[in-house]
Amino acid sequence: MPEASSGAGGELAAGGASEAGDAPIAGSASGTDDESIGWSASASTCVEHPTPQRKNGTVVSLLLRPVLEGNPFVFGQLNPLASGDSLIPLNFRFYISEVELLRHDGTTTAVDLVTETGDLEPYGVHLFNAEEDESSSMRVLAPAGEYEGLRFALGIKLACNKLAATALGDPLSDASQMTWPHTGGFLYLRYEGRSAEADGAGAGGSAGAGGAAGDSSAGLEILPAVHMGGNLVKELVPHVTVSGSLLVPQSGTLGYGLRVVMDEIFKGATSDIDVSDTSIGFRSTPEAVAGERLRRDLPELHVFELEPPVMSP
Amino acid sequence: MSPGRSFLVAASLVSLGGLAGCSGGDGAPSNDGAPSLITSTTPAGFPKGTNRDQAPASNALTEDRARLGKRLFYDPQLSRTSDVSCATCHQQAYGFSDPKALSAGVDGRMGTRNAPSIVNAAWGRSFFWDGRAHNLEEQAGQPIENPVEMDLSLSDAVARIAADPSYVEGFRKAYGEAPSVDSLPKALASFVRSLVSGNSAYDRHLGGDDGDFGPQRQRGEALFLSEKCECFHCHSAGELTNEGYFNDGTYTEGGDTGRQQVSGRVGDIGKFKVPGLRNIAVSAPYMHDGSVPTLEAVIEQYDAGGRGDPTTDPLIKPMSLTSDEKADLLEFLNSFTDPTLLADPRFAL
Repeated sequence: MPEASSGAGGELAAGGASEAGDAPIAGSASGTDDESIGWSASASTCVEHPTPQRKNGTVVSLLLRPVLEGNPFVFGQLNPLASGDSLIPLNFRFYISEVELLRHDGTTTAVDLVTETGDLEPYGVHLFNAEEDESSSMRVLAPAGEYEGLRFALGIKLACNKLAATALGDPLSDASQMTWPHTGGFLYLRYEGRSAEADGAGAGGSAGAGGAAGDSSAGLEILPAVHMGGNLVKELVPHVTVSGSLLVPQSGTLGYGLRVVMDEIFKGATSDIDVSDTSIGFRSTPEAVAGERLRRDLPELHVFELEPPVMSP
Repeated sequence: MSPGRSFLVAASLVSLGGLAGCSGGDGAPSNDGAPSLITSTTPAGFPKGTNRDQAPASNALTEDRARLGKRLFYDPQLSRTSDVSCATCHQQAYGFSDPKALSAGVDGRMGTRNAPSIVNAAWGRSFFWDGRAHNLEEQAGQPIENPVEMDLSLSDAVARIAADPSYVEGFRKAYGEAPSVDSLPKALASFVRSLVSGNSAYDRHLGGDDGDFGPQRQRGEALFLSEKCECFHCHSAGELTNEGYFNDGTYTEGGDTGRQQVSGRVGDIGKFKVPGLRNIAVSAPYMHDGSVPTLEAVIEQYDAGGRGDPTTDPLIKPMSLTSDEKADLLEFLNSFTDPTLLADPRFAL
């Protein structure tokens, strides 16, 4: 997938440093700004401090913003539904890794996930956790240019998935709440929530203990839990392509919104895709079946949507 | 640390006196002849790094600091009435927890939550049942000032400590300064960080030694890690907590809303921090309010899918366990007991 990008020099170093030597990120394989190593070279390894794709670039912030029925989907709060009921998300988190930007000529360039201070995200993985506001900001260090979207893995690669969490630091530790020891490996996406009547604020819900029953709203079936994961022997992490104009300036920082469309997640999780083939994973529970349906249906879904820049370059 | 009873009043002022400079680790004698409090043990399956590695740079874990903290931990001077110490509610024989459902503080004032075990807290990410403290340093001073626990301002506690020359010397050695509202909680945090429990049958099992981990415990472990029981969702294998907040079905309407009091989120009603389970068999009663008297009753509550409140986490569902399965689970939970920690004289008064 990834390959050398077209020339786009002159970007800032990560973390705002002006010289490559000041950047907290070590040099890339080529030592130039316009080439990335690509993700295939590191597919078989999972290390806390991966080799960076490039030394320099512009930090682009992508603000992950869950929405449901066109409205912000607020963690831990009553989210009114068209049906008149409300939905309270209790746990929502997912991994993103192996981010690439899409060029107009059909090629891609791999970009590193970086922290607010410009350091590489450990293991090259970003964990979105709806309970922690700061995790909503996902940052990539990208070469300047005009792109027509991005692509990323919604989860973690097999090389990471098959490692024991106890040997790993954040965001792959047990505290991620994404470890699934009975199968080994991690969840790629985890959602749990419960429904409540719109006037049930404070007390909780009306959909049965723990929201065990599903809910529906405007033709959308809403599940109490969706657990999407892989297994220990196959590379099953799904990749997501998000189309949209994405300008990376040569200097400064730029932020885009990246909507997370819950409607699409529930749509995929309740699809009629046959997941009776259990040879690739453990799917005995409703939430795991829902997750596997979502995983297989992702190419047909639009879970992520790029929004216009939220800050001027 | 939480409120407690007053039977430890006189016992607390055992002279640890000079707090001579110490070194070493792993329980090996330090240069004053006393065994070190700080070991390099990491319980099996815990996050990488020792307890020393978990300490913040602003309060590096040293022998002097842990020893000073131990003296403070057992000292009832830290309560207004001078009859309640940290150890009143966190008793070693019970895995540094309280065998009472709710603990009594000064003047018999009752708390509202069960005093949890504090072993292996070095690896914790938040503290108290509602997670309102982000680190042990932030946690350690709160029970001292809590009106239903020790009911003494930190500044008054410091004044009492500073009147004792041996304490002043201890703080000078440990922190290079006189006792202060900053260093007093730090010292307590250092002692708590030294409390490592890593020699249970379960620890040895994870290390490859199944000598005390027979077929029944193995069956119980399999159930614990299964989607039938789903215990592992919160009690991750190894550390036996994922450090998160969940509503496990104990909450009922009108009860303690837990995490919601910190976050303000309606979805956090009835959520409490997931406790680690080392020494769980000796730390009855259970749950945030101590309302479940035995492990057998805990298993029964989970088997029923909680108490039926609609706020219960959707993963808490009736399990229909057989009596044999319940027995297997119980035996697995019993494997978490670490007799070494419970009787370790280094941590005793």
